[in-house]
Amino acid sequence: MNIQNVNVNHLVHAYKIAPWRIQRQWIGSAFGVLVALAMVATIYLDVTSKAAIAGREIQDLTASITISQQVSADLQTEYATLTSSSIMKQRALELGFRPVKSREVEYLVVAGYVEIEPDILSSAPLPQLSALSILPEYNESLLDWADEQIAMSSRELR
Amino acid sequence: MRQQYARRTQVLTFVMGLIAFAIIVQMTRIQNSAEAAIFRQQASNYAYELRTFYPDRGEIYDRNGHLLAGNKSIYEIGVDLTTVKDPNAIATAVSVELGIDFAKILDAIQNPPEGLSYVVIADFIEAKQAMTLQELKKTLEEQAPEGVRGPLTGLEFKSHPQRSYPENALASNIIGFVNREGRGYFGVEEKYNTLLAGNPVQVLVPTDPNKASEIIRVPDGTTLVLSINRDLQAAAEQILDESLITYEAQGGTIVIMDPRNGELLAMAVTPRMDLNQFWNYGSIYNRANEFNPAVSMPYEPGSVIKILTMAAALDSGAVIPGTTYLDTGSILVGGATIQNWNQEPWGVQDMTGCLQHSLNVCMATLSTQMGAGTFYSYMDNFGFGHLTGVDIAGEAAGRLKLPGDADWYPVDLGTNSFGQGLTATPIQVMMAASSVANHGRTVTPHALYAMVRDGRQYNVPAQFAGSPISAQTADMLSGMLAVSLEAEDSLALVPGYRIAGKTGTAQIPVDGYYDSTQTNASFIGWGPIDDPQFMIYVWLERPATSIWGSETAAPVFGEMAEKTIILLDIPPDTIRQQLVAK
Repeated sequence: MNIQNVNVNHLVHAYKIAPWRIQRQWIGSAFGVLVALAMVATIYLDVTSKAAIAGREIQDLTASITISQQVSADLQTEYATLTSSSIMKQRALELGFRPVKSREVEYLVVAGYVEIEPDILSSAPLPQLSALSILPEYNESLLDWADEQIAMSSRELR
Repeated sequence: MRQQYARRTQVLTFVMGLIAFAIIVQMTRIQNSAEAAIFRQQASNYAYELRTFYPDRGEIYDRNGHLLAGNKSIYEIGVDLTTVKDPNAIATAVSVELGIDFAKILDAIQNPPEGLSYVVIADFIEAKQAMTLQELKKTLEEQAPEGVRGPLTGLEFKSHPQRSYPENALASNIIGFVNREGRGYFGVEEKYNTLLAGNPVQVLVPTDPNKASEIIRVPDGTTLVLSINRDLQAAAEQILDESLITYEAQGGTIVIMDPRNGELLAMAVTPRMDLNQFWNYGSIYNRANEFNPAVSMPYEPGSVIKILTMAAALDSGAVIPGTTYLDTGSILVGGATIQNWNQEPWGVQDMTGCLQHSLNVCMATLSTQMGAGTFYSYMDNFGFGHLTGVDIAGEAAGRLKLPGDADWYPVDLGTNSFGQGLTATPIQVMMAASSVANHGRTVTPHALYAMVRDGRQYNVPAQFAGSPISAQTADMLSGMLAVSLEAEDSLALVPGYRIAGKTGTAQIPVDGYYDSTQTNASFIGWGPIDDPQFMIYVWLERPATSIWGSETAAPVFGEMAEKTIILLDIPPDTIRQQLVAK
């Protein structure tokens, strides 16, 4: 029993002091650090590229909005020109209409008729961009993301 | 052998380490060199771009939603000198499409000012012309061999908004115009320039997409809705233009207002200007007050002022409608003799007869009977000599001389009573007369009906400028004016509608003396008198066919009133009374 224990201890000791084992430990540790750095770099690159693409899309969309607004204003003005007072009058005359005289107008008293009020002239509400409308992925840093993930995990554990 | 390998490994490691160290040293040296600092500075110059976001100028609509002033895209055409390939091709294309001198364009491209990388060839180009050039550039690029740039490479197009007026000259005097620098001149464009223009915002925009952030939203300028009725305005301008020809007048004004709230429904003047060609302003007008005489050009209005003299006399208790006096054809006031328009006596007259025959002697009698203190107090309360506050740029106050002023003489008490010796704009006379039409309350005239900002509409409430006379006096006087028109069988009357009104014929002072052959013919009236929905002022300058307002301005009023009744859907008195009865 004692002889066996001595042999085992000897082997363990021999294993512990073996020079190749220490080298492997160092290599393993260095490799582990390298892998960790590579992972961080990969994630960082991924998030950065996504953010860059999203940023470019925002710039493109902003430009599109500006162009659409310009086109809309142009069309509105063109429509107003085509329906201007002088053009509408000219078209009416060409279609055979003529201005009415006051004696030709007949007014009828209609019981219960309520004159329709003109629509309130009001433009549509403008879209309100707010910080909440942009996903956090597009403006948070890697540290923010990691922080959020940790916070989320801890919330789930609780 | 093993030792030899170990030595080689050591040497190799040392060499590799040395190389790595050298690389690191070189990297560090480059990073911190003077050149690196310059490059960093250059990079930081391009990292952010200071952009000014100009809000779109607010639009202007009439009360029924017809666009009177909007925005459209126009183009600046320039050449990027860093990418230009064929200056001759660019010069040819631009000169053919835009009609600009070929040599001038070529010189601008080939001999640009020192340090410029972009030159502007033309600006304020219509979208249609710019699109044609853009299409040509695109077509030539597509036709160019693979890998070769098109000959119009470097030709650049930058759009920017410009004011556009779809109705051209319609209501030009009310709207005003915006110059190329974006500043409003005249009309509501000037009066509400700050509101319409909005507030430009300067933002540092990162060029690095990684730093792209939410771009600040620049709210558009405030949109204005005017109280003007486009169709009524067009009708007023047409009637005015025709009346200038018919009565051979040198100029004219027609203003239509709702006397219940002061909303201006139409304001036609001559001459007018196509607002899309605002650069013609100098060739159309000699003075700024010619742009909108209705608010900017005070004149001696003449007998239309008799309404207000009578209002003061009735309200002060000096007379009642049935009060009579003997008209001898003249009266001495302040040492000067005042005569009637026909220099004839009219015998015994009551107050309605005074108005009906437009008797100067009667009015001078009333003003002297009231005394200067009472008479001028009423005139001041009616607003003469003060601005009305109408929201159209360039308003003039006119002049009402008061006792104590260096140039006031006792005779002015007599002449002022029938509208001579004082000056007022049409809008001032309308504001004063609104107290008679509106049961004693004076309204402030205004052209703004509502404002639209951030999707919300804010209506402009009616503003009242006081009650210079009682409701009883006002209603009594309206009735007297209606009777006087009916008794005269005035050309201003509209069948089926009871109208109150008064003509005015004022001689024009020439070289210090009144010229009896040159007059300003005016008419002010409102109706239907039991529920006044419109007040119309007509002013014809120097009519040649007749000098009298009753023969020129009155029929123009009648025609305008008939058109107004149709366009505002005002039923005849009998129908309205049936509606009220129900």
